[in-house]
Amino acid sequence: MPKSKGSLLQGTLDMLILKALSLGALHGYGVGQRIAQISGDALKIEEGSLYPGLYRLEQRGWIESEWDVSDNNQRAKFYKLTRAGRKQLIIEEQNWERLASATIKALRAV
Amino acid sequence: MFWIKATTRFICAWRRPDEMAREVETELRFHIEMRTRANIEQGMRPDDAQRAALQSFGDFERVRNNCCQIRRSLPFDSTPLRMGLHITIAVLAGLAALWTVNVPHHNLTGVMRQLIAIAVLAYLFIVVRRARTKRRSDSEHMNGVLVAPSETFRANQSLTSDMSDAAPAKITAYDQQGRTPVERVFKS
Repeated sequence: MPKSKGSLLQGTLDMLILKALSLGALHGYGVGQRIAQISGDALKIEEGSLYPGLYRLEQRGWIESEWDVSDNNQRAKFYKLTRAGRKQLIIEEQNWERLASATIKALRAV
Repeated sequence: MFWIKATTRFICAWRRPDEMAREVETELRFHIEMRTRANIEQGMRPDDAQRAALQSFGDFERVRNNCCQIRRSLPFDSTPLRMGLHITIAVLAGLAALWTVNVPHHNLTGVMRQLIAIAVLAYLFIVVRRARTKRRSDSEHMNGVLVAPSETFRANQSLTSDMSDAAPAKITAYDQQGRTPVERVFKS
């Protein structure tokens, strides 16, 4: 795989986190894994950058967290989507689809 | 319910910063440990696995500090609060200016009042300049992201509105041939 990198639009990570958590409660590591899984390993995220995203979303009330025990009996912080977060995800998905179709339209313009 | 939790979190972050930092660190270390285990399961030696986990995590200190900073920030949009503060300062400055005009300047009290009024006005000037500079940098930042194609549609507005002070996330999108979006456009 080539080493060159391209950045996606800012805000994408937050949307992906919301999407990952819409499928169930997860700890931070699990969120990264799930994003990779649902994107078919096409999206690679610098793992540390997940956490400021998670904290930001929690600060806005779109996700909430609680400490629990993980599968390997370790204390871990689990995040889950709130009702406000679910609504926000729908808005973000709609925005993203509009943006994607507008960009495709612009790129295909002759 | 959200407000109660958010306010409690905010107060705890300021009252017990060490505890908050420890909590953040525990969470981040859990991530690194999980990644290390996954690397070992893939056949790496423990040392190499941990090194690779730390590398894929990125700058640990920066991430921890970012998280603590976010936790210490106000749990609501502080723009109306700041606007209120600016308006109050402007009103105070106006009153101070009026006060100065109505006071004779030939005695010590008059001179003192005049100096106070000048100080308040200077403060107001600095506040306004800082607000304008911040607004300009924000608009430059948004221009660098995308320009909205219509009045009703603003690209990810809600998610990008306060991204100017956040560390940019590094995400790379590859297609099946291992090309990034830019490469797909220009090398197809």
